[in-house]
Amino acid sequence: MKGYRNYFLKQLVWFLVTVVVAFTLNFILPRLMPGDPVAAIVARMAQGMSNATGVQAVYEQYTELFGTDKPITEQYVIYIRNVLRGDFGYSISQYPRTVADVIQSSIWWTVALQFPAIIVGWILGNSLGALAAYLRKGFDKVLMPISIFLSNIPAFGMAIILLVIFAVNLRWFPTSGGYQFDMVPSTSFEFVWSVIVHYQLPFWSIVLITIGGQAIGMRSMAIYELNADYVKYARFLGIKDSKIIRYVFRNAMLPQITGLALSIGTMIGGALVAEIIFSYPGLGSTMLTAVLGGDYPLISAATLIVTLMVLVAFFALEIVYGLIDPRIKAAQSE
Amino acid sequence: MSKPILEVNELTTNYVTRFGDKIFAVDHVSVKVDDGKSVGIAGESGCGKSTLALSLMGYYFPPLYYASGDIIIDGQNISGMDPDVVRKTILGNEISYIPQAAMNALNPTQKVIHFIEDVIQAHYPHTPKKEIYELARERFELLGLPAEVLQKYSVELSGGMKQRTVIATSVILSPKVLIADEPSSALDVTSQKMVIKMILDLMEKGIIKSLIFITHELPLLYNVTDDIMIMYAGQIVERGSADEMVFDPIHPYTKALMGSIIVPEEGLRDVKLTAIPGTPPNLKNPPSGCRFADRCKFVMPECRVRSVELRDIGGGRSYRCIIPEEDLRKAYKSEKR
Ligand SMILES: Nc1ncnc2c1ncn2[C@@H]1O[C@H](COP(=O)(O)OP(=O)(O)O)[C@@H](O)[C@H]1O
Ligand SMILES: [Mg+2]
Repeated sequence: MKGYRNYFLKQLVWFLVTVVVAFTLNFILPRLMPGDPVAAIVARMAQGMSNATGVQAVYEQYTELFGTDKPITEQYVIYIRNVLRGDFGYSISQYPRTVADVIQSSIWWTVALQFPAIIVGWILGNSLGALAAYLRKGFDKVLMPISIFLSNIPAFGMAIILLVIFAVNLRWFPTSGGYQFDMVPSTSFEFVWSVIVHYQLPFWSIVLITIGGQAIGMRSMAIYELNADYVKYARFLGIKDSKIIRYVFRNAMLPQITGLALSIGTMIGGALVAEIIFSYPGLGSTMLTAVLGGDYPLISAATLIVTLMVLVAFFALEIVYGLIDPRIKAAQSE
Repeated sequence: MSKPILEVNELTTNYVTRFGDKIFAVDHVSVKVDDGKSVGIAGESGCGKSTLALSLMGYYFPPLYYASGDIIIDGQNISGMDPDVVRKTILGNEISYIPQAAMNALNPTQKVIHFIEDVIQAHYPHTPKKEIYELARERFELLGLPAEVLQKYSVELSGGMKQRTVIATSVILSPKVLIADEPSSALDVTSQKMVIKMILDLMEKGIIKSLIFITHELPLLYNVTDDIMIMYAGQIVERGSADEMVFDPIHPYTKALMGSIIVPEEGLRDVKLTAIPGTPPNLKNPPSGCRFADRCKFVMPECRVRSVELRDIGGGRSYRCIIPEEDLRKAYKSEKR
């Protein structure tokens, strides 16, 4: 257990170091932009604003928020304080909403769409891949080409295929949005039903793509493990196949967890395509609007969140691996 | 006469390749191991030693198939048995195996004790875990292994410790016969000696009754097994007591193997080191005459056409060559000078 504690501490230190680096980059990069970032922000925001005192007020508000008239170290402290408070200033593209508000209202759509889709795709993909490795023959011959096909379609291709077939041609599902556009979010049955119906196409487009990649990975890992010496040895000593299969799949599953963590960590980036094509009201769509609208505060905040999610996912991954894979545990205690 | 624990008569088994070709890696091989005795099997790599081991355990899983012959373990003929039944009743229980790649034989993500539980419960499903633990601890300690090893994962063990753990695990059910397939070839000389001593201990302590020890280094068998068989291209080419085989080889291949010492044993240090020139024949279409003809110093035209049987010359000795034994001995003597 002492070995694991050291391992945990080491991982934690690395995690904190990378978080600090991420924060710092997020702080420095906008300030490297030529000119006065606050002036740039205000200039964009002021487009169409004829009131000079209004522009001046906005400028002062931002100068105070970011502390751009103070020395850089002090700015950094202010920045950290703002981030910890969740205060990222005002969104330019959706003024006068705050960045925090914009992100809060969209991120849950993304998480609710992506998280279940990734989990479902991961479980289905791994089960199918494992089955293909074990059964081989016909099942494998059918499943593998399909998986390779699925995993090689670009995300937008899958989304468009589903859109054309099920929304445009068959008209089973709506083409866009998170709910019917003329509804007001509530807990009424109609609204919930509308959300469920709008959910299906983006959800399955992500599930299908995840299945393909996971099935291929799991199949090759399982085939590799099935030929391992420990499998033969277990047979030599009379252990039943049903038991041996359990050893094999546990071992084959371990590397697959990396894929899961990766997908969860990069969820927002992954959501981008499906959300844009289905105009889903998640963070992906929001980021697109932010980029198109030069909404620096929103881009900066969203980038920070994406970075943090990746870091947290990988930190969690290392910690879990250390617990469930004795190979890592052993390597650490040496 | 002592009774045989394992009797194999004219066993032939083959692999089927992906293209449907048959490779007869074990070709009419007979082996007899008496109660309390040990037999060594030596031959170059690829001659079919491991296949023979699997075959005489009744371990027939594709691509290995049984063709003909009898396998009788302690009076029970297992040659026609369903491989799944063999697995449930025989493997690990009546006859056990230490695989060639013993280093990687343990599942990296399973504790040693949990694997032992699985082994015992595969044959005796309702054995309580406590009982298994006690048995394992006792057995490990008897063999000089610390009981803590049971709670470890294989990755936490050193190479030598892994090897010894695999040996102890293989005999956890006190099988009648143990087959050790090159159990020491991946180890340094000291660990090799330790492993061999441990295996011999198994016999001395009555954990196993009989032993088959496989190696590609014939001289290693000196002082280890009672009898020795030499295998070449799927066939037995000579057999006899260990002393005779080491100090008075008859078959030119045995003679050559004695010269190709890699780790000199005590008392054998003056033997010259030479590799055997040439390569063994392809088992897919073996030559019709003597299989060793292409590499034999004493080859005659007749050797390539006449198939040659294993000739019994009494005293448990037999060899597969058309040249009379005296002529071969004479030739070896003149060679030495
Ligand atoms: N799975 C397999 N499929 C086809 N041929 C095999 C297979 N395993 C071994 N062989 C062949 O059988 C012969 C004997 O192999 P093996 O029993 O492993 O020899 P040894 O243990 O003496 O080194 C070799 O010529 C090898 O090519
Ligand atoms: Mg071998």
